[in-house]
Amino acid sequence: MADPTRALTARHVGGVYGRSLLAQIRAITEYPADFWVMASAGVMWNVLQFAFLTVLFAAVPDVAGWRYHEMLMLSGLLTVAAGSTALLCDGIWSTGTYVLKGEIDYRITRPAPVVVQVATSHIGMQGFGETAFGLVMVVYGWIGAGLGLAAVPAGLLGVACAVVIECALITMLCAVTFWIKGNNSIFAFVMLDLQHNAMTLPLALFPAAVKIVTMFVLPVAFVNFVPVAVLTGHLGPWWLIGTPLAAVASVLAALGVYRLGLRSYDSSGH
Amino acid sequence: MSSALAVDRAFAVIAFKRRLAYKTQWLVGLVLGGGAMLVSMAMWRELLSGGALSGYDWDAMRAYVIIGFITATMVFGAADWQIADRILDGHVAVDLTKPVDFQRARAAEFVGSMCSTIPTVAVGVAGAWLLFDPPGPASATAGVLTAASLVLVFPLAFGITYLTVLVCFWTKRYLGVMWLREALLAFFSGMMIPLAFMPSWLQAVAWALPFPHFTTTPSAIYLGHVDTAGALGLLAAEAAWAAGLWFGARLVFNHAVKKVTVHGG
Repeated sequence: MADPTRALTARHVGGVYGRSLLAQIRAITEYPADFWVMASAGVMWNVLQFAFLTVLFAAVPDVAGWRYHEMLMLSGLLTVAAGSTALLCDGIWSTGTYVLKGEIDYRITRPAPVVVQVATSHIGMQGFGETAFGLVMVVYGWIGAGLGLAAVPAGLLGVACAVVIECALITMLCAVTFWIKGNNSIFAFVMLDLQHNAMTLPLALFPAAVKIVTMFVLPVAFVNFVPVAVLTGHLGPWWLIGTPLAAVASVLAALGVYRLGLRSYDSSGH
Repeated sequence: MSSALAVDRAFAVIAFKRRLAYKTQWLVGLVLGGGAMLVSMAMWRELLSGGALSGYDWDAMRAYVIIGFITATMVFGAADWQIADRILDGHVAVDLTKPVDFQRARAAEFVGSMCSTIPTVAVGVAGAWLLFDPPGPASATAGVLTAASLVLVFPLAFGITYLTVLVCFWTKRYLGVMWLREALLAFFSGMMIPLAFMPSWLQAVAWALPFPHFTTTPSAIYLGHVDTAGALGLLAAEAAWAAGLWFGARLVFNHAVKKVTVHGG
């Protein structure tokens, strides 16, 4: 039998999370120009990534054995994951600023997990455009690659795990600012940037060390590369088991590192 | 030195020192720019292993990617946020009371901040040269003209950046504007993929914009894809864009400044 206190706590946390996000959405609709600029910016990077792949594949038949539509899925899934983090936990990027200014103080006193309060303190409007266009890229690539409806459950699992892993890894790396103080979450930013550069290409292009790090140290390969490689037959189906495992491990690591960070938090001025 | 130039130099030096004070910026710039360069090298080595594509062989592409790294580090590492913040938080109202030209002062600061990327560029290029041993310029003249085109990137980058920053008079945030500019610049400059790979209509669109002068112009001159007359023509076009953007920005500023709000007031 489920523990009622635990269920209530989970419902409470979920309620706080949902209400905070809704409040952020209401706030951003007050500035329509900003909303449209940000959403357009999110789309523009991906339109140009789409254009890049289209131009590239007009000149070459494949990249390390990966064809046009497979590469579109690779880029699209990463875009969906990154865009979702902007919608679901964009406030986590402010962890460093809150630590510096001592603004974690009052969040500690409120009856909801600090990580949830920080994550929902902001919403990235570019996420709307990114997620929508990323899904377009995935679906277009899916159809072009000849994947049928039978693969949809595996695809949905891949998308869900990609979003969870991306949110968790960004949360974990933003939590580093509890120790290495600064307004900017440099580690998370570097990961995201390198991910957008390297993980939109087949891993076969890179040395073995890159494959090991991206699969087993910081499992960014499970965000987009592994699911797409499984769906398109570049990796065996049993690799798909690794995706939810990587998601669970990433969430546990993120919560653990954030909790450790809160323990070492000593407010500002100390 | 005239007093106006002394003021320019003071703004540039302050911006330069301010950027150098944040040493992690060097490292981050090197990791991001170097990472992008290595990924690009890995992709092109694979694609060009079978021979040249669209006029680029592996030798030419190595030089092209390194030139792209140089211009990307210079442009993306500059202090555009400081100008945007002055508009967004209302400091521009104080700036307007000072006996200095707002645009000229911001230009001096911007150039100073671009100069602060030179250590990152130097380390990145030295590393890339050791790792990839790219070919030298097509000729000594090509080398000199490539350097000239890189110098012109300074005013050109300021013109584009400043014009887009002025959008902050109408918006409350700068991030999206910056992303839009950087996305267009990365694609139409040829940083993502050389313009020669693009269909002719897309190349025409690119050349109707100022962006190709960030990567395509210096690399075309360096690799000898254009002769001396062609190189001088490209440099003239680059200079014309820089001048046009400078005066265009003045017109936009005169209109935009009427929108000044300070903390929502």
